[in-house]
Amino acid sequence: MVDIEKIEKRTVQSVYDDGFFEIALGLIFVLLSAYFFSQTIIPRGSSINAILTGLFLIVLVSAGFLVSRFVRFFKRRVTYPRTGYIVFKKKEQSPKRRAAAAIAGAVIGGSLAALYGLSPSFKALIPALFGLLFGIAVFFIARRIGLVRFYVLSAVSATIGVVIAAAGVEETRGTFLFFLLFGAALIISGLAALFVYLRRFPKPAADVPEGPDAR
Amino acid sequence: MPADLRGLADIDRLIHEPARLALAAILSVVESADFLYLQRETGLTKGNLSSHLTKLEEAGYVAIEKTYRGRIPLTLVRLTDAGAAAYKAYRARFKKFLEKT
Repeated sequence: MVDIEKIEKRTVQSVYDDGFFEIALGLIFVLLSAYFFSQTIIPRGSSINAILTGLFLIVLVSAGFLVSRFVRFFKRRVTYPRTGYIVFKKKEQSPKRRAAAAIAGAVIGGSLAALYGLSPSFKALIPALFGLLFGIAVFFIARRIGLVRFYVLSAVSATIGVVIAAAGVEETRGTFLFFLLFGAALIISGLAALFVYLRRFPKPAADVPEGPDAR
Repeated sequence: MPADLRGLADIDRLIHEPARLALAAILSVVESADFLYLQRETGLTKGNLSSHLTKLEEAGYVAIEKTYRGRIPLTLVRLTDAGAAAYKAYRARFKKFLEKT
């Protein structure tokens, strides 16, 4: 008997078979880690620091766009010729849901900023907070698509953050380390997935016509 | 005939066929998919896939668009509104039947 739910889930999972999503996300994290690293060596208030902060904000705001462009570029060259092309439906978010997300973001951001200002010891917990926040986000992705490696990445994010905080690393250096290590974990996971994918699906010998006309 | 079985007898036989059901299930979660993707995911031969798609197209359940990716011919398939409704109805009816039995 055909297991409809399994087929539907498998279709969603197939988008992540090639690992390009994780590689792109990992590169963004490594790029952001470079900014936090610069904060440990460049004096605050300098013009270079201001430029780097501007670049950091641009990367942060356009992260979604950069990831999707990167993924699309490589899928067109590597994935579509091997395993075919699919495009997903664009989900329209309801205004209520969007407002709820904005409010939740503002509350979390506001609470963090307040705690940051009130307690100097809170600063030491920032890497742990990043680890848990990204861990929760990746956990939700894992639950939606049902891929084990995303559950592992969720645990890796939380572990890296907590270990850095527990080690008592200074906040900026700790944040740099978190972004660098979690970015590296994402890239390694993506490259491993890509390696398996390329072995399973070698490039077709020639660009043969496809579809009903190909018979 | 028991009511449970009567419900099952009313199901859409065009979609109930395993290969076409698999195609409808894939297409239900995507905007569109190409022939290569559908062939790989269903494991059907080109001829078989083409035949099932033609049946679904004749019923108005899928729309097939022939286009090009660069110079390579590309056959894009998507579920029509009628196809999506038929699949949804089939899914609901079959789930109900399985819950009762």
